[in-house]
Amino acid sequence: MALQLIRPDINIDFVGKRFFFVALSTAINLAAILLLIFVGLNYGVDFAGGSVVQVKFDQPTSAARIRQALAPLDLGEVTVQEFGATNLNQYLARFEKVRNIGSLGKRLEGALDQSYGPSNKAQVLRVETVGAKVGRDLRVDGFLAVAFATVFMGIYIALQFRGVSWSFGAGAVIALIHDVLVVTGALVLSRLEFDLTTLAAVLTVIGYSVHDTIIVSDRIREDAAKRRREPLESIMNRAINETLSRTILTSGTALTVLLSLLLLGGPILRPAAFTLFIGIITGTYSSIYIAGPVVLFWEGGRGARSAPARAA
Amino acid sequence: MALELRTGRGLYRLASAAAPETADEAVVLTLSLERADGIERVVFRCRVERELLDRDACANPESLIARVAPWVEREFEATREAALKLIRSERRLYEVVFDAAHRGPF
Repeated sequence: MALQLIRPDINIDFVGKRFFFVALSTAINLAAILLLIFVGLNYGVDFAGGSVVQVKFDQPTSAARIRQALAPLDLGEVTVQEFGATNLNQYLARFEKVRNIGSLGKRLEGALDQSYGPSNKAQVLRVETVGAKVGRDLRVDGFLAVAFATVFMGIYIALQFRGVSWSFGAGAVIALIHDVLVVTGALVLSRLEFDLTTLAAVLTVIGYSVHDTIIVSDRIREDAAKRRREPLESIMNRAINETLSRTILTSGTALTVLLSLLLLGGPILRPAAFTLFIGIITGTYSSIYIAGPVVLFWEGGRGARSAPARAA
Repeated sequence: MALELRTGRGLYRLASAAAPETADEAVVLTLSLERADGIERVVFRCRVERELLDRDACANPESLIARVAPWVEREFEATREAALKLIRSERRLYEVVFDAAHRGPF
């Protein structure tokens, strides 16, 4: 007997449960938006701009004490925060604009040693500097890259599936916005650093998610051409069930690889692997529970359109 | 003592950032990799198993750093990126290990 992970005659009522899952997704997206506004992403220096200095002390201290110790250097506005677990005694000092940046690490160590003395030695572990304008430009360009990718994917899908309904494009765009919000919300909660590699992972999530959406939409288009008198809701449910095996196997194999990267890949790959892991899960979910319901809401649950479906 | 490394990102200086740690099985150096203009610096550790060292090398950390410097220059991008990522995300120093299986410059 052949191995069958999913029965060929499976018939889960995905579309019937769409109201619950749309409500759930709306709540998650609102939470993600609130997290982005009130907590914010942990921008790496690429996006934040300015200078970042990570300092380790032998003994506990406070951000205010560190600012006081650095004041004589007259380095401009400085933000100091504890970095990591309390017992690590590590702090992050951010300088928006450093006047005379040469040997910043040595100068900071000298000022801290002078202020704290030998009882609490400071060691500068990291100094990174990105021009403020470069950081700002990268933030804007990164957002535009995600926005343009989403919009043009939507336009392409709308054109390709116009024979069944123009709303496929809207469904795809809303699904992609949902995926980006879920992923960025997860990044806010995890406090993983959002840098250029993570941005590349977000763009990959968009590509993966729309690929899954196209697979389901294409099956809907095929079934709509064969069953013109059947309601779109029924056609959509059948199409999702027919592609379920392929969807789960494709996502499952990708997730297996990503889980390995997440657990064993080390700190360099972790933010990107985490982004892709969450993104593939939500991309698969949105292809079923977001893109389809958007089309149904648009079409008002009518029967399949009478215009013949065009091949891609 | 700071050794200059010519890298694709410009001139960097490799120097000792803390006193070396000597144990029965290995010598551990804490090194800083700092760009010449000061806009970037990262500290990492370099652990060398004793079996790779002769007695003179163990007693002279500066000669160890001089021996490691060309290797760091060759493996600069990977070392720099690993050190920065680890310190940013896990708040601990990246450690390069040289042992019998991975002799590096030894």
